[in-house]
Amino acid sequence: MQELNLYSVGMAGPGNQAIVWDNSTNIGKGLSTKGLSIPAAGTMERHDRQSKKNITEEKLPRERRRVTPPPSTFQRFSVDTNESLRFDPYVSQSDEDESQLLSSYRGQMQYSDEVFEEEDEAEETPIRDKVYSTPESDRGEHKMDREERLSEDNETEPDVFCTDCKTPTWSSQNLYGPHKDHRVILIPRATEEIKEDLQKTMSKLKEQILLMENFASHLEEIFITVEDMGTSLQENFGRQEQNLEQHYNDVIQALSQKYEQGASRLADEKKLKLEALYGQLVDCGKTLDISKELIETAQEIYRKENKVTFLQGNRAYGLSFNRIEDFSKDEPDFRLLASMEFENNTVDFSDIKQMMDSINILPAPSAPVINPQIPNSATSTSVHVCWSLFSDDTVEFYELHYRPVLDDATPANLQAPEVSKMRVKETYLTVMDLLPNAQYEFWVTATNTTGVSPASEKAVYMTVPSPPVIKWRECMSCPNAALIRWESGNTNPVDSYTMELNEIGAESNDDSITESIVAIPTCECLTQLQPDRQYSVGVRAVNIGGPSDRSKPVIIQTTGTYFHLMEETAHPCLLISEDRFTMFYGDEDIPLSDMIFSDNTFARCVAVLGDLIPVRGRHYWEVSVGEGTEFRVGVAYEDTQRNSFLGGNSTSWCMRHVITPSRHKYEFLHNGWSPDIRITVPPKRIGVMLDYDSEKLSFFNADVDQHLYTFQCHFLHLVHPCFALDSPGTITIHSGIAAPKCTIFD
Amino acid sequence: MALTQVSSSKCCGGFQKVFEHDSTELKCRMKFAVYLPPKAESAKCPVLYWLSGLTCTEQNFITKAGSQQAAAEHGLIIVAPDTSPRGCNIEGEDESWDFGTGAGFYVNAMEEPWKTNYRMYSYITEELPRLINAHFPADPDKMSIFGHSMGGHGALICALKNPGKYKAGAVSAFAPICNPMQCAWGQKAFGGYLGSDKSTWEAYDATVLVGSYSGPQLDILIDQGRDDQFLSAGQLLPDNLIAACTEKKIPVVFRLQPGYDHSYFFVFSFISDHIKHHAKYLNA
Repeated sequence: MQELNLYSVGMAGPGNQAIVWDNSTNIGKGLSTKGLSIPAAGTMERHDRQSKKNITEEKLPRERRRVTPPPSTFQRFSVDTNESLRFDPYVSQSDEDESQLLSSYRGQMQYSDEVFEEEDEAEETPIRDKVYSTPESDRGEHKMDREERLSEDNETEPDVFCTDCKTPTWSSQNLYGPHKDHRVILIPRATEEIKEDLQKTMSKLKEQILLMENFASHLEEIFITVEDMGTSLQENFGRQEQNLEQHYNDVIQALSQKYEQGASRLADEKKLKLEALYGQLVDCGKTLDISKELIETAQEIYRKENKVTFLQGNRAYGLSFNRIEDFSKDEPDFRLLASMEFENNTVDFSDIKQMMDSINILPAPSAPVINPQIPNSATSTSVHVCWSLFSDDTVEFYELHYRPVLDDATPANLQAPEVSKMRVKETYLTVMDLLPNAQYEFWVTATNTTGVSPASEKAVYMTVPSPPVIKWRECMSCPNAALIRWESGNTNPVDSYTMELNEIGAESNDDSITESIVAIPTCECLTQLQPDRQYSVGVRAVNIGGPSDRSKPVIIQTTGTYFHLMEETAHPCLLISEDRFTMFYGDEDIPLSDMIFSDNTFARCVAVLGDLIPVRGRHYWEVSVGEGTEFRVGVAYEDTQRNSFLGGNSTSWCMRHVITPSRHKYEFLHNGWSPDIRITVPPKRIGVMLDYDSEKLSFFNADVDQHLYTFQCHFLHLVHPCFALDSPGTITIHSGIAAPKCTIFD
Repeated sequence: MALTQVSSSKCCGGFQKVFEHDSTELKCRMKFAVYLPPKAESAKCPVLYWLSGLTCTEQNFITKAGSQQAAAEHGLIIVAPDTSPRGCNIEGEDESWDFGTGAGFYVNAMEEPWKTNYRMYSYITEELPRLINAHFPADPDKMSIFGHSMGGHGALICALKNPGKYKAGAVSAFAPICNPMQCAWGQKAFGGYLGSDKSTWEAYDATVLVGSYSGPQLDILIDQGRDDQFLSAGQLLPDNLIAACTEKKIPVVFRLQPGYDHSYFFVFSFISDHIKHHAKYLNA
């Protein structure tokens, strides 16, 4: 945090940050000031010293200042770690190094400085004065001597620099002597050139430092950008911010280290170079001294015009001559000892780059949370799976895995079902092509550039069942109720069924559900209805996934009572039509052995039961018979004896038509007894009215609305219509028709 | 047309009354019974005419048949006239029980001395309905007819001779004389009232009339006691009627009721079936 604070101070970060980090800001400030104070003090001290020394020229301080990075730069890197603390002292240290270096050579340097300057400046005295006033000059005397000599024999010093030979020489020698025709420049200019070279080196160094500064500020920019993002999305990207901080700090540390290393390396190199150059300068000075001395000697000798003396002193001078000769023979080495080039210090930023790249790397997402199935979101072949992620996760895509859940009935030795996998960017997916009424196990993983999350919990989704199939042949109704039967349409059991009733032609919307009956456990439902309406009835199978599509509807009319023949009760000789409304008794005799009887089939009477809705009240239906058809039509208990004739027992009531040689005979049979009733018009269409309420069973000639007969019967339980053919013929039932008025008063 | 109330008794929520009036058709003082159901106090009701059998007056039916309960339930006015003119002082009118007084046979007599007064057919089919419609809350469009024995014969011929007059053709009869031309009672009466020309008899013979019937669908209900002595005596001859109706496809339900005789006990036993049979049409 404190590191950040420092940055924020340095970069004058956003106000809120400043507030947040106010406390530490102060610390940072304190630290930075402390950090600053060291080099500042050093500088001041030196300045004092320098002013004491009265060095007017600011070259060195200026250079030093240029070398020294701006305080802000340091401030930025004055991070609060040990390393960075080391870094700060380093600045002063480098300064100190420099000052030490300088101070150790100060005498000479200043001296030489003056030497160079003396060339240009007319007043040498003040400089010399300054030099003399240097208290620390331990070689003062010696110098003084030399200075005296120098000052005295100014003109005799090498005044030019041969660029060809890289050696100081005299301008005279340019005209004659070894440096004839060589390019020569004045010594001061040569010195300047060398200095320029040095400066170039220094500026190169500075450029590199600048580069690093730029790089650092670029990093800062990145950081700020990220930080701003973090601010705006602080809540969501808390983790990311933290992550970035950590990464960034790593980068900063790495950079600091690099800077430190690079700077110290450069400083070391500079130190070495300077040392070498100074050494050369000193040598140069020494050579100059010797040259001067020799020149003086030579002049002395030369001045002695007395040849005797000259010759006398030949021995003494001989030495001098030899020296001069030797010296002149010596080729002073003026090659610069220090290379102008700094070592190629290309900093390897590849690791930093890598680190920077890695800043963008997000943590792998956490395991998504898969939602439980939403009701009514599934179809028979698809489910809509939803999940969610943790808010601060970044996810590139999800992978939804699923496999069917085997029910317990599946043999264990079967292979585990294959897992399917789908890739999706959204947090939901409608998975298609599934089996109806089946359970599927779903789990989801999230993936981003970093990696894959752990799998979510497994959630079981269920496709809704296939729509049931209404068995319209087994549906029945009456004016105030309907019994609907259906097949599940699914091999596996479903939870329940929902039956939906639509009143057709109702005042409201035609499509509106008039009534829904839910949670029907079995494949049939008896429901109350209003008379004389038309209903469209559909059924849905329901499991935990929701309801299936609606079955193909069946139209129920509550105009009359509607039923079909129960084929399973039919005598083997009877053929029941496809629509289960007509029964045939063929002419050809079927051998008894070919007849297949069951417990439920009529065995003697060629009869069949109708499937009447188990609702009390009034039921009316009609029966079409041929005039010559010998029939029995009536009602019977469902368990009426299968081996007796209808009407011949106490469990059935029927109207019987018998053709006698003389006439049509009609009987109204129950328990084997019939009243003696003559009917003048043989009915072709018989109306049957079953009235539980008044316990009556009435027969009508429906064609002429003629009441034929009424049984007063005490029904112990519910009855079914019954029909029989005593001779080959046909009976067709007409159900779902309104009872004619003639039946009302019966 | 003035009516004189002879009696009025509350019965089954309504009133059983007897009136007396001077009949223009019969030219004598006539009595008739009328049952007014409770419904008649507030609304017009259909009228069911009951024709009684030999020897009866208006009293037999109202006192023995027990029709009031069903009439009250179905809201029917039941009019029960006398069976012949009375007190006409015709010679021989009271000589026998099966001719003359109490045996009008619901014909318009053509022979002297009967033809002036014995116009029961016109009385039943015209004068009486006019009278009833004028004096009682009767629905003139809804009338029906039934009877017992000779009255059964009367009911059948009235219906068969007046297609559409009796609503929806609902007719019923208890042990009717179905084919009078073929039985002793009929031959005696028809010979007396109509003369010897049997072709005129045919106009009053139900079985014959069935053969020539053309009109709205009839619905005829006939109950017959199996132990009726007149059935076995060949006075009633229902089989002839049934055969004729079967031939002409006129719907008849003929119920041969075992054990019953010709009496009002028999009538009483099935009167509600018959009233219901009529009510079904009259109240439709």
